[in-house]
Amino acid sequence: MKKKYSVMAVATAVVVGGAMVVPIAAQAATPSITIWVDAPRLPGAKLYAKIMKGKVNVKVELHGQADLLAKVQLFNRVKKGWPDVVFGPPNDVAVLKNPLIANALKLDKLLTPAEVKGFGNGNSWCKSSSGTYCVKNDLAQTVLWYDVKLFKEFGYTVPKTMDEFAAIGEDLAANHPGYSLGAVGDQGFYATFLWPSQCPLNQEKSATRVVINTKSPKCTRVAKLLQPLVDSGVLDTRSYFDAGYIKDVGQAGKIVANIGPSWWGEFVLRPAGTFAIPAGHIATAPMPKWAGEKVAYSGEWGGGIYTVSPHSKYPRQALDFAMFMVGDKRNLVTVKNPDGSFGAPTFPAYTPGNALWKAKVSGDKYYASNPFPAMLTQSSKIFAGEKPVRYDSNGAWGAAFAPEMTKSKDIQKAVDAYGAYVSNLAQQLGYEVSTK
Amino acid sequence: MAKSKHYRHKNGAMYLMLAPYLLLLFFFGILPAIMGVLEVPKPSMANADGGWDAFSIVVQDFRFAPAFRHVMGFMAMFVPLMIIFVIGMALMLDIKPSPWKKWLRMAYIVPASISGAVAVLVWYVILQPTLSPIKGVLKWFNITESSQIWQQKNLVYILVVMAFFAAAGNWILIQYGSLQSISTEILEAARVDGCSVFQMALRIKLPLISKYIIYMSVLVFAGGLQIFVEPQLLNGGIYAGIADSWSFDQLSYNLAFMQGDFGGASALSILLLIPSLLGALLVIFKTDMFEGATGHAKKKEVEIQGH
Repeated sequence: MKKKYSVMAVATAVVVGGAMVVPIAAQAATPSITIWVDAPRLPGAKLYAKIMKGKVNVKVELHGQADLLAKVQLFNRVKKGWPDVVFGPPNDVAVLKNPLIANALKLDKLLTPAEVKGFGNGNSWCKSSSGTYCVKNDLAQTVLWYDVKLFKEFGYTVPKTMDEFAAIGEDLAANHPGYSLGAVGDQGFYATFLWPSQCPLNQEKSATRVVINTKSPKCTRVAKLLQPLVDSGVLDTRSYFDAGYIKDVGQAGKIVANIGPSWWGEFVLRPAGTFAIPAGHIATAPMPKWAGEKVAYSGEWGGGIYTVSPHSKYPRQALDFAMFMVGDKRNLVTVKNPDGSFGAPTFPAYTPGNALWKAKVSGDKYYASNPFPAMLTQSSKIFAGEKPVRYDSNGAWGAAFAPEMTKSKDIQKAVDAYGAYVSNLAQQLGYEVSTK
Repeated sequence: MAKSKHYRHKNGAMYLMLAPYLLLLFFFGILPAIMGVLEVPKPSMANADGGWDAFSIVVQDFRFAPAFRHVMGFMAMFVPLMIIFVIGMALMLDIKPSPWKKWLRMAYIVPASISGAVAVLVWYVILQPTLSPIKGVLKWFNITESSQIWQQKNLVYILVVMAFFAAAGNWILIQYGSLQSISTEILEAARVDGCSVFQMALRIKLPLISKYIIYMSVLVFAGGLQIFVEPQLLNGGIYAGIADSWSFDQLSYNLAFMQGDFGGASALSILLLIPSLLGALLVIFKTDMFEGATGHAKKKEVEIQGH
């Protein structure tokens, strides 16, 4: 009945007043948006749909992150079906804003000055010389995670430099065999060591030029410092998420310290399904500094983004959802997750939201000391040289780096393999690859 | 006159029965192939100005040569293994009528009911040293860490094992069926002439089912060339990236859906169609697989000409 009425209204309007009246009829309708999120964002998205009932019709869909590009391209073919707003991995922005795909709306005019100010530098990943094309959900800046009980038992102090970090590794190998400073067989190696060391791997300089240079001293120093730790087994060549590593090292309580992203505690150290480290063990510290550097930079492992489709009829309503996710207490602190925990598990990129999240994590008795200050320190020190790129820079860690690492256990060889692989990918997609 | 009317009537029924197949063939075979060809010259990120050089671009793709090596290595093991093992099993199953036979046949269907996707999981668990039900065996080979198994150089063997166990059971049953079609008179005659069991299998049965073996070879070849599910699942689920663009089909999928290069993906798909098509033509024209059908067609031709 309702639909019939509005059709009649439009028809009458067209007859009476011509096309000019049509937008008024459209405005009267309730806006509808479709949002795509991954599993960790699902409880917040569902809550948002409930809150907005009557004001905005929100359709929430769970989707696999890897198939976004495929689906968008099919939507482009049939010219319909695009979701209004999508949560996705950070590299999506480069892929989606590429003119061939064209599914990331420029947000500069939609974001209010207060929102822009609220993000501060937290949204710099989404900004390029041509504008802002996404909104950052969370920062995944790396910090040093360490086990205070093991540190005390072995008599270690928190390392301030990478040399001190390596010295702990040497001591572990000599005096406490079996204990670990982490694993290096996956994408984590990029976020935790190469990126903080400013190794140029995906440094997009323009839409047509990217710098990839695994022979740079900023890369080779990583291999040089850490290779002995790989040789002695203190750094494991498996992935952190390898079933064997989880069982033999993680759950056995043998990780003395490791560099990990801000979500490491909530997602990996704490859950029973992964490392299941008991309460009272875990603390964070700022990143150790590389010799000769002024700043102890972080890398980023993840740190999702929201993109709005240019095909959306209600782009501001779509953006409102993203702002709810990054700035509203109901998502950040109180929403109940399927595993029984509450609120968002990751470090919000939006400053007002971050303040709410801080209160939640700072008071958490699981941690031996408040993990927030180190995260905050590092949040402004994510090295900005690494950029979103059009090729699948993350997948290449699995395709090129990890297999070489498993085979030769040689860091430099594995990094070179990655460099060669992404150089090929980049050239294929129209980048000129240079070493400087 | 009456004769030709009879034939026309028969032709009508034939076309009617052919119609569903032709419809499916058109919509799911020919039409997609035409669309694929039309897609090739369209511009993409990899082929900015468009054009038919999409073929040469895809062949020069840095992942093409490794995929070629992988698939050829896979086929070199998979195809002969399938044919020898399946025919051997079917012949052995056919030796003597026994009350156990139907149970045996069922036993062969069990592995066949494990599809490629499930086989990935099954073999992952079997080969993963921490989870494996055959830990002891793995240990005897000195395999205690998953990294010893899940290496790129081992993939081809692992995939052969997966594909073999998923496909062999079905084919054993089919070839067993083809052995059943051999006339008992021939077998009886051979037996009377003093043919041993082995001679019977190799000299009598094998030549009589040879066209089915060629038919199977072509299908196994085409299937092997297009291996996709097993490496793609390994790549996505077990060790991310371990089998990235391992096979041609995966490369085609990556081009289309990870890089937005539908033209390159179509070009590669068309290249893949060629060997399979040649294989099919070989079966039709160089074997007497479809002897009955062509015989009938020839008869019809004569009839029409005569008319």
